[in-house]
Amino acid sequence: MNSPTSEFVHTTIELDMSWRYASGDEMERFLNGIAQRLIEAIRCPQCGRRYLPPRPFCGRCRVRMTEWVPVADTGTLVAWTVVHLPIIDGRTGEPRPFPYGMGLIQLDGADTALNHYMATADPELLTIGARVQAVWRDELEGAMDDIMHFEVMP
Amino acid sequence: MVPPDERSRALVSVLGTAETKVTFEDPRSIPEMVLAVVEAALEDAALGWHDIDAVVTASVDLFDGLTASSIAVTEVVGAVMKPETRIAADGLAAAVHAVHQIMAGAYRRILVVAHGKASMAPYWDLTAWAMDPIFLQPLGVNFLTFAGLQAAMLARHDPHAVSRWATTAALRRSAATGGIAGPISVDRVMASPVVASPLRAGMCAPVGDGACAVILGDPNIGDRNLGEEDVRIAGIGHDVGPHHLMIGELTDWAGLRRASQRAYTLAGVTKPTFAIVEPSCLFPHEEELFVEAVGIGTTAPHSPGGGLFAGTAPVISGLSRLLRVVRALKGRTGERGLAHGTWGPAGQGQVVVVAETP
Repeated sequence: MNSPTSEFVHTTIELDMSWRYASGDEMERFLNGIAQRLIEAIRCPQCGRRYLPPRPFCGRCRVRMTEWVPVADTGTLVAWTVVHLPIIDGRTGEPRPFPYGMGLIQLDGADTALNHYMATADPELLTIGARVQAVWRDELEGAMDDIMHFEVMP
Repeated sequence: MVPPDERSRALVSVLGTAETKVTFEDPRSIPEMVLAVVEAALEDAALGWHDIDAVVTASVDLFDGLTASSIAVTEVVGAVMKPETRIAADGLAAAVHAVHQIMAGAYRRILVVAHGKASMAPYWDLTAWAMDPIFLQPLGVNFLTFAGLQAAMLARHDPHAVSRWATTAALRRSAATGGIAGPISVDRVMASPVVASPLRAGMCAPVGDGACAVILGDPNIGDRNLGEEDVRIAGIGHDVGPHHLMIGELTDWAGLRRASQRAYTLAGVTKPTFAIVEPSCLFPHEEELFVEAVGIGTTAPHSPGGGLFAGTAPVISGLSRLLRVVRALKGRTGERGLAHGTWGPAGQGQVVVVAETP
């Protein structure tokens, strides 16, 4: 056993792997919609909650959900934070510039809140309750970052 | 004091406890750290390897950088050719699983072990990988982001919230004798860098390396080390919140309320008053959510040793809270304590244990 004062021996292991996730029927439809600038939520037939992103079952009622409802790409900023720590960008594997704004957004027509980047990291420009609008990429791939971020509406 | 008509509801007995001193970087390997606490817990319980019927370990592959992270400790926990279960959640959830196994009559004595080493890789970055891979990982959301959003919602209509949280953080750090980060003043908390607004670095409990072990036993087997002063677990409860965060759910630990009610029902608790309360809160605003959810009242003292602000490690927090409750109650008569653990973003997983002395 090492003593508490022994030298550290570090072993660095680098992995370069990728996964091919099966998205499931609901997420497939959702992402296909995103590729056409269409956001859809799925509604529970029992409690009526409109879930975004879609899940096959309502966790509260445990019933299958099959009814789709359109959701706007505008909404209300429910919460925001400005993050000052570097993070690894999940899409590129590279460090993401910081600080950056992160919002919790209730899109018009949904009952759940959606996490996404905010266009600004200036706290003076972010207010809970503010109206926000999605900013889309020009070329859409059917992924969540087809929406680059949300910006506060004038 | 526990009212006389509420006593003797013991589910299991706590036979032994041990933990490493949490440090920012423990030079030992995970098996070395775990072996140290296992041997110390056995010694505390006056038991040997052969007295242990089964093992429950708590670890998270993502944090350990291993697949099947329990395999790294199979030998040192004595799980070879014994029934072992691994829980990928907070260590207190592993203790609850062990309670279930003993209550079912499957085993008499179970070793529960949790370990975590935040020094191995950037902890907050890793938590981003705990999120849904299709929807949330591309957005870089991690547990710290959720904590910042949660704090922002709580502070929205409360202009004194941030200064109050700074005071709480300073209070906890000052109460933490031998804490890994040392005491800090309110002014220094407020001057510390913003990490996820409105949270500042000084408002975050320091996360490092640690291991913890607890040995649980059937209270009816007449164990040689069981005495009248021994601590028993009288109530357990846990809860997993919804995947989707509905509006308002970030600002209410409803899952903890459900978990604590389950524990109170089992323990026969009619009024939640405790000699010691040990929440697992990494941020001061979580303490306020905790106090409301478990119903102890806003003025009830808790975290006498500074709570997690003394220093904690991934996965061990809840089990180490149980250890502190057990040590505080040991030797006292008719007292009750509450230990709490949580896992996931913004407290989506919650677990509560009510312990008492006869």
